[in-house]
Amino acid sequence: MAALWPFPLLISESLWACLALTLPDGYPEPHNGPPTAGFNYSHVDPSVDQPSALRVFSLDYHHVQAPFEIVLWIMLASLAKLGFHWSGRVPAIVPESCVLIMVGLLVGGVIYGVRHSAPPTLSADAFFLFLLPPIVLDAGYFLPGRLFFENLGTILWYAVLGTLWNVLGIGLSLYGVCLLAPSSLGDISLLHCLLFGSLIAAVDPVAVLSVFQEMHVNEQLHILVFGESLLNDAVTVVLYKLFESFLRLPSVTGLDVLVGGCRVVVVGLGGLFVGLFFGLVAALTSRFTFRAQVIAPLFVFLYSYLSYLTSEMLHFSGIVAIVTCAVTMKQYVEANVSERSNTSIQYFLKMWSSVSETLIFIFLGVSTIQDIHMWSWPFVCSTLLLCLVWRATGVLLLTAVVNKLRRNAVTFRDQFIIAYGGLRGAICFSLVFLIDDFPKKRLFITTTIVVILFTVFVQGMTIKPLVELLGVKRKKRALPTVSEEIHSRVLDHLLSGIEDVVGYWGQHYWKDRFEQFNKKYLRRFLIGEHHQTHSSILRVYQEVERREQQGVEETPPAVDAHSSSRPLLPEEMDSIRRILSRNLQNFNNKQMPAYSRHTLHQDLTTDEMRKPLHRHQSLTERCTYHTITYCPQRVDGEFSKSCRGRARLSRSHTVCSASPRWSERPDSLVPAALNHTQPSDPGPAEEEQDSPQRRTQIERATKKQLSFILENEKPL
Amino acid sequence: MGSSSSSLNNVPDGQQLMQETGFSAAHLLRLYERFKFLDKDNRGHLRSEDFEAVPELSENPIGDRIVGAFFLPGQETVDFSSFVRVLAHFRPTEKNRTRAGAQPEPANSRNRKLKFAFRLYDRDRDGKISRTELLQVLREMLGMQVTEEQLQSIADRAIQEADLDKDDAISFDEFRKSLEKVNIDHKMSIRFLE
Repeated sequence: MAALWPFPLLISESLWACLALTLPDGYPEPHNGPPTAGFNYSHVDPSVDQPSALRVFSLDYHHVQAPFEIVLWIMLASLAKLGFHWSGRVPAIVPESCVLIMVGLLVGGVIYGVRHSAPPTLSADAFFLFLLPPIVLDAGYFLPGRLFFENLGTILWYAVLGTLWNVLGIGLSLYGVCLLAPSSLGDISLLHCLLFGSLIAAVDPVAVLSVFQEMHVNEQLHILVFGESLLNDAVTVVLYKLFESFLRLPSVTGLDVLVGGCRVVVVGLGGLFVGLFFGLVAALTSRFTFRAQVIAPLFVFLYSYLSYLTSEMLHFSGIVAIVTCAVTMKQYVEANVSERSNTSIQYFLKMWSSVSETLIFIFLGVSTIQDIHMWSWPFVCSTLLLCLVWRATGVLLLTAVVNKLRRNAVTFRDQFIIAYGGLRGAICFSLVFLIDDFPKKRLFITTTIVVILFTVFVQGMTIKPLVELLGVKRKKRALPTVSEEIHSRVLDHLLSGIEDVVGYWGQHYWKDRFEQFNKKYLRRFLIGEHHQTHSSILRVYQEVERREQQGVEETPPAVDAHSSSRPLLPEEMDSIRRILSRNLQNFNNKQMPAYSRHTLHQDLTTDEMRKPLHRHQSLTERCTYHTITYCPQRVDGEFSKSCRGRARLSRSHTVCSASPRWSERPDSLVPAALNHTQPSDPGPAEEEQDSPQRRTQIERATKKQLSFILENEKPL
Repeated sequence: MGSSSSSLNNVPDGQQLMQETGFSAAHLLRLYERFKFLDKDNRGHLRSEDFEAVPELSENPIGDRIVGAFFLPGQETVDFSSFVRVLAHFRPTEKNRTRAGAQPEPANSRNRKLKFAFRLYDRDRDGKISRTELLQVLREMLGMQVTEEQLQSIADRAIQEADLDKDDAISFDEFRKSLEKVNIDHKMSIRFLE
């Protein structure tokens, strides 16, 4: 029964949408998507609104048409998504993207049936400027950085060379097919085939993400496919524009090809630098946001979007720019910005990218219902076949070469998943609409749609059973123990040292150098002084101690070295593990959770861990660093105010003003500290704060905090 | 570069070392050149000062332990064969090697690698990593960032996890068991040394 109730809602929603779309007479041509629909209406209003008599109730649709339609579409998308998750067994079998496309098809069909003309299609501008950036930003912000950089060589190898291989292969073979069937396909030139190849060969990050997130493959595989789909944008964009400009030139010389090759490099590197620039500026800006914390998240979004737009303006790769920007600014912004702002940023990113993705898929479905289809069996089928074949051979060949250089070989099963997971999506779709008109353009459009639908439906639905069939190494669920963590770090240091002795650059060398550079210059410059933290071990240990105090066992915290005989709580394990992996120079952390669209919950658990930690950190660290700046008078009233609500903590930094008193008068400190830490010590879930046992335990905790503070003041 | 065998003659005990450690002639030569580079005063053996002259090593938290691992107990100098024998531990493990039972275990086997790592902790060579030894390593790695209490707690938990016979120390077998899920070959191999 639960499966059925969203559908009436959905159907009514779509009918409403269609009704709304059929109301106005002068609807703009089908090419413009909703975002651009509003502009035509500003001058229609005066002619319509001419009441002859006073009316009690009137309808003025034109006034609100554009935003109304946009909201309706987004509402439709969100309800469809909601319905999908409520629909029982469907999510297990069919990936979300498929269902969304089907809903889009349905809506498109309804609109077509009602209006007898093509429904609005996804305009390329709307897609590239509004719908794509949030998704890529979300991907870049939550990118598992270390894993990505460890595998960067392989990813680039697949992205650049693989895409080139695919483009040339598909383009040339398609031309061969066209030559073989001159009657129907004779007017497609080589350049057209190459152009088509360039847009159809690109693996789409949106589609890949939406399918892979539901399959939990091991992180290495995930990052390879996902990283490749992100980075091949540079190559795709360049090749596409290259072939397009070749089509306009009277003739193509070898020099032009060479110039084209250079352009790939320029486009990629240009995007990289634009992203770096904006990322660093964003990090710097976030350093100063502590006085107006509410708008801190806005800077993240603004700067990322700006980097995307700037690089699009300069014809660089926007995707590379925005990913670089996000990766660059993440660590500094997270350190600079309050915990609530961090949460806001993450939630907004997830929300926007979710909406975007849903809209894209729905529009894919809607746009499939077109008047302008042209079908040709040989072309379509051969395209499908060639896509699969060339991708498979490309992956096989490239992996054979790259395995010699990698420590962890990409297994045969992984290769299969990489090849099979090469889904096409909305990027190809938008690109095909941008081609200059020529007789067979409609054929290209049809073929593109067929390829996209095939890859998303067939490959998307069957990849999960195939993964299980082949037994691809699944994500290791077990978290490492403390011993493993410690010993792993020791071994990493050992290996680094041995590499130094032997004198060759190992994998760790560049990482070490970057970390040193980062610590010495970047962090000092980009992170506000009051946030410079040297270690999170401390915070997490306080968290662990606190949890011990409120844990099920209710045993006193293990100050005494020999009292550690009770079993470890899983949260403690988690936090210790996290300490060690975050703090000690973390070289090969393979246990990072794989990036996936809907796992903000997973991130949330780390954030829940970190929230009280950051609280501790912010409390204690701010206390140590702000001794001089804040006047002690504003203490007690602010204490109770600021401690009760986290919201106020972000605005008032007076919590720390107690610290000058702390170091001077240790006796009165404990009660003061008690008042101050008591509401914030227990996490968001705790209620009972007044039991005397708790008080003594909290006392001990605060004493530890104090000792930390006092100790921590020394090295400064 | 001349035939490898003739240049190998310059390397003391070259052939024997090749046999023993499994290094190729080219690698052995490279290591010998590195050895000579580190041996600034041209004494034919390395002292700890020569190791400390490697800049990155001095910044390594466990740098002095690593240096100490090169020196055999009681010795103050490292000659080339000891140098190579230590580095032989870091060759990638060869898979599917069948060896006759009488052959000594190769230096780059998983067991030997783990033993090497174990000796990093167990400086007094009593066969166990005591709590103090573990604390020392932790202190070196975590440095000034952590208080003594927290170090104790981390050490406690580590020992608690690994210590099966409850003697408050980690023996080699317990050490090996606690690392059974870790890919030691990956973590302790320098690929270009194969």
